[in-house]
Amino acid sequence: MKQKEAQGEGNILFVGIDLGTSRSSISASNNTREWIESYVGWPKDFISLQVVGKPVLFGAEALKNRLSLDLCRPLEHGVIKEGIEKSEEAVKEIIKHLIELAKPQPEQKIYAVVGVPADTLKVNKLAIRKAVSEFAHSLMVVSEPFAVAYGMNLLNNSLVIDIGAGTTDLCIMHGTIPSEEDQKTILTAGDYIDEQLYSYLTEKYPNSKFNKNMVRQFKEQYSFVREISEDIRVEIPVDGKPVMHDIKNEVKRACESILPALVETTTEMIARFDPEFQVKIKNNIVLAGGGSLIRGLREYLQNALKEYGPCNVTCVEDPLFSGSNGALKLAQDMPAKYWEPL
Amino acid sequence: MLFMIPKKRELKVRKAILRGVYEDNLRIIGKNPVILAGRAPVFFKKMFLFFSITLLSILVNGNYLKLPLFPEKQTTASLITQRPSSLPAEKPVKPSDYAAFLGGKEMPLSRMFGLEVKTIMIDPGHGGSDSGTTGTMGTKEKDITLDIAKKLRERLRKYGRYNILITREQDTTLPLNQRVELARSSRADLFISIHLNYLPSKPINIIETYYFGPSADDKTLRLAEQENAGSHYGLSDFKEIIGKIGETLKLQESKEFAASIQKNLFLNSKKQNANVYNFGVKRAPFIVLLGVDVPAVLAEVSCLSNREEEIELNTESHRENIARYLEAGILDYLNKGEVSYEAKRSSGRR
Ligand SMILES: Nc1ncnc2c1ncn2[C@@H]1O[C@H](COP(=O)(O)OP(=O)(O)OP(=O)(O)O)[C@@H](O)[C@H]1O
Ligand SMILES: [Mg+2]
Ligand SMILES: [Zn+2]
Repeated sequence: MKQKEAQGEGNILFVGIDLGTSRSSISASNNTREWIESYVGWPKDFISLQVVGKPVLFGAEALKNRLSLDLCRPLEHGVIKEGIEKSEEAVKEIIKHLIELAKPQPEQKIYAVVGVPADTLKVNKLAIRKAVSEFAHSLMVVSEPFAVAYGMNLLNNSLVIDIGAGTTDLCIMHGTIPSEEDQKTILTAGDYIDEQLYSYLTEKYPNSKFNKNMVRQFKEQYSFVREISEDIRVEIPVDGKPVMHDIKNEVKRACESILPALVETTTEMIARFDPEFQVKIKNNIVLAGGGSLIRGLREYLQNALKEYGPCNVTCVEDPLFSGSNGALKLAQDMPAKYWEPL
Repeated sequence: MLFMIPKKRELKVRKAILRGVYEDNLRIIGKNPVILAGRAPVFFKKMFLFFSITLLSILVNGNYLKLPLFPEKQTTASLITQRPSSLPAEKPVKPSDYAAFLGGKEMPLSRMFGLEVKTIMIDPGHGGSDSGTTGTMGTKEKDITLDIAKKLRERLRKYGRYNILITREQDTTLPLNQRVELARSSRADLFISIHLNYLPSKPINIIETYYFGPSADDKTLRLAEQENAGSHYGLSDFKEIIGKIGETLKLQESKEFAASIQKNLFLNSKKQNANVYNFGVKRAPFIVLLGVDVPAVLAEVSCLSNREEEIELNTESHRENIARYLEAGILDYLNKGEVSYEAKRSSGRR
């Protein structure tokens, strides 16, 4: 897989992009790795433009200035959505920004592989191609869990479970490019946990003031399923004064709310295969995406699936970049003749 | 050597996968890498249904059509094209634009009887292992219908007045009888099934809307055969159909509902794309319309065999537009005969 040397690697920058609901990342052949939160904001009016000082803001910075901005999270629920032209524009801005972050040389050609949630791919592949094509010389789009699997060399008899924000994507690899039946998307993922946690906390502490963002931070800091020994207590303002709140039980319930669908879908997908392959697949299950960081999840899943024979579940090392790294590997391995100029 | 063998195999696998990615992407942009697998696997099952439906149509055409309820002449292009460009540019067509077309002031029966529509069930056609039709670039009917259905749901929810349900939320297989069952058990008051057409022989884009009824038209029967595939109904079930057709209130309502949908879809789509044809409101024995006891229509909102249209369907804005036209069609039907409707709508809209 070294054809690319022939065409002079120096002139080409290979990039792998993971376009996510909540976070998007880029990995490039010049070794840059960057990520942003998938928020795009445009100043609402002239005054806001003066305040924020730029025509477009991203990620954390956009969130911080959200009162002055038209904020857009273009891939919510895994599909380009809302405001339509606005979200297509936002996808474009994210891509442009990510590619800038990868710092290509001025004369360098950009060959990109873009991983998107499997559901997005179904109805938005052309839109995504359109959004990327302005900033790349050649490009391919693939489904996100497939990119993860490829990057980890899990080409055969494996199952990747990518627990993101908008969706949980499952993908079984058996030596070919996964067909539609090999991929499944469920809508219970990080955002869903946030919603659950938010409503549990509102119920338990009706007088305390929290918002969705705080709740997500609590989750990201303390998420777990089953048991942990430590207490979980956080500061939340009540009538303007910070007060400690015990949220352990709520965090647990919210995180566990995604388990039933997860176990059911996993079992269902594996069951389609011959027993011989089932065994192999079950020893090769990989959790990816931000949701894989939930403490105890790996063990829970491994146990739940053990019922029908041995099983091995692992987590990717770097959930933030496993998608873009996989996409980059795809880009670098792709034979030169497959890269068509746009 | 022992070490080399798996290595070699892995290389081969890898090569195949990379080629697969490449071909997939070619397909996305509409270049055909290789001949795709044929589309005739469920032939026999379909044949059976086709015969059943044909038989039904013969059976029914004999006695039932004597009723004056359905003039055999369908609403077609001629009337609509008389007033093509007098339409406002931005907003969906107003009810008044085709009030004459609809036959004037008559009120929906549901309103006459004081029935109120509370629950609307949206049915995205196909799903899961049943892809529906597939365009040359690989766009699947089931994905587009699901997306449009969800967009329509969001739009209707904004009114706060209706309970909006959807038969499937995800890409799951859902047999037709279960869809019917869902509509019944959730006591839906209105039912709309969303589909895409496919005309292999003509590369044109058409829009048509159906309500349940017998049809003698070959093309319609073939379409019904396509859309009914995957149902578990057999010949004996069709006997019941004939009995059910007696529910004329439902049928008359469905026909009005279909007319409203068709008009909004067509007139508005025409503004975006002059090359769309109006195939009008028709009757067809779609199973999904049959079992539902309330006004029910099946809209073929677009056509996947048309290349330009397939590309358009892959854009968010086009799907949103279709949802918008359906929304207008539903509201027009619901608000027909209500004087204050237009004012209401312009204030309800951004
Ligand atoms: N430690 C953690 N515990 C639980 N959840 C976490 C943790 N860290 C991040 N997350 C959640 O993971 C999600 C983000 O994961 P990821 O970046 O994989 O999603 P994404 O790729 O943007 O989404 P999608 O794949 O659905 O498009 C968010 O919901 C985030 O809150
Ligand atoms: Mg992701
Ligand atoms: Zn259909």
